[in-house]
Amino acid sequence: MTQVLLIFWIISAACIIFCRKVYRVIIYFGVFSLITSVIYLSLGAPDVAMSEAGISAFATIFFIVCVEKYYSRGRGLRREQAQEKQHKKLIFTKFVPPLLFTLALFGLFIYFVPTGYAITELRDQYLQMFMIDVGGTNAVTAIYLGYRVYDTLFEALLLVVAVVAVTHVSWLGLDQIPDGRHSEIENSAMAKFTMRIICPIILLFGAYLIMNGHISAGGGFLGGLTLATFFICRYLVLDIYDLPIKKVMKMEELVFINIAILPILAIFTGLVYVVADVAPFFQNIYLIAMSFLIGMKVACGFFILFYRYIAIERL
Amino acid sequence: MYIILGIMLGLLTPYLIRVIIGPSVWDRLLGMNLIMSKTILIIILFASIFETTFLLDFAIIYALSGFIGTIFLALFLSRRDLQKVRKGKK
Amino acid sequence: MQLLSYIVIGIGIVFMLFGVLGIFQPKKDFYYRVLVACKIDTVGFLTIIIGLAIRHGISFFTGKLFLIVIIMMVLNPLVAHIMVRSAHNSGYAPACDSERDKHETSA
Repeated sequence: MTQVLLIFWIISAACIIFCRKVYRVIIYFGVFSLITSVIYLSLGAPDVAMSEAGISAFATIFFIVCVEKYYSRGRGLRREQAQEKQHKKLIFTKFVPPLLFTLALFGLFIYFVPTGYAITELRDQYLQMFMIDVGGTNAVTAIYLGYRVYDTLFEALLLVVAVVAVTHVSWLGLDQIPDGRHSEIENSAMAKFTMRIICPIILLFGAYLIMNGHISAGGGFLGGLTLATFFICRYLVLDIYDLPIKKVMKMEELVFINIAILPILAIFTGLVYVVADVAPFFQNIYLIAMSFLIGMKVACGFFILFYRYIAIERL
Repeated sequence: MYIILGIMLGLLTPYLIRVIIGPSVWDRLLGMNLIMSKTILIIILFASIFETTFLLDFAIIYALSGFIGTIFLALFLSRRDLQKVRKGKK
Repeated sequence: MQLLSYIVIGIGIVFMLFGVLGIFQPKKDFYYRVLVACKIDTVGFLTIIIGLAIRHGISFFTGKLFLIVIIMMVLNPLVAHIMVRSAHNSGYAPACDSERDKHETSA
């Protein structure tokens, strides 16, 4: 099962490497990420697979917009033609070594299975103590919101930095925000009717993922991605640009400060562990609050990135 | 159930061939869309074999967020070809 | 119940195999392939999920399957619609139509 999928995986990866046309590469990348998430699932990592599924859609959109911007200046076409001329000459030197390398890696992956055990003290301690210390029944969420809060903080900080960079670079030398480009499917009655059915389902499912993060797979990041999907659907059909982007930016910064404050109050002062002895139920409230904040953060961040990209793209 | 899973995996091959050899970009998009629906089916079959319901969340996420990439690719491709046609007419 | 569910799933798989036949038609263009593939793919998907619902009886599993059925029944035709629409907008002409157009304009 996994071996068959790995063969497909290598074929699509080879397509990405050897193809020289940009839009084909984007489609191959879509196929590649589809197969990747099934491989994660069959290797027993549903959390990672779900993140891959959520990210691949957004990655496709951002790739497309970047390529569009690059090609609209006419620089890309010339470079592609020059590359094609080189490509015909160098086809053997480019084709053979990567193929041998991937085949060797594939053989290693199938036949080299490590048998000995690593030192498992830390893993054992985490797995035994997470129910008592942090609460919740999902070990991944408990560890990354309880023991590894620094990870969460720095991930959120990275997203803040990315959003700030994109917005401030894109507003360079502009007095007002441009209108952006209209999506061309807003005239289609069928799309409007369909989105009217789908949008409430997306909102409900995002809320379900955030609220259910401490029990099953999913959690704050995926719930935030799903909420951001709702905004994209709104752009496709309603085509609204009167959304207050600056207010959303302020809200994102507030949410980030809250993400910093809540673990300091709860974990660094030891409040969670004190409460855990009295009433174990209240630990779940901490987990749900944290994943709600992270979900809001991710949703705001992707919302701003998406609308800024679409607005830049007009220029 | 494993036989059905194997058939689904085997069905991935003709679609992958269509993605690779497709004469136009639209054929490749069509192949990607078909591979996506097969992926969702494979996940549902996994969930049915292991009798777990939380894997179905994964399938729902795929169904909800996967189509957006395809829609945006289609929109931007149509714009790009329109620009080409206009330049050719000029 | 098991046997019935397997029969229904088998019917769905037969639909999907017909879809593969439709994809590999030589001398046909994109519109023909979209017409065959997306329609038959949706039907096969729904049939297989109905088979799985019969297999699991009335349970939480079947409820979530029902949600997936609603989403896919709505979204799969929408994606096909948008693909064909933007292909038509971009000026990708169907093969037989363009020949007829040439004939009409020349005559």
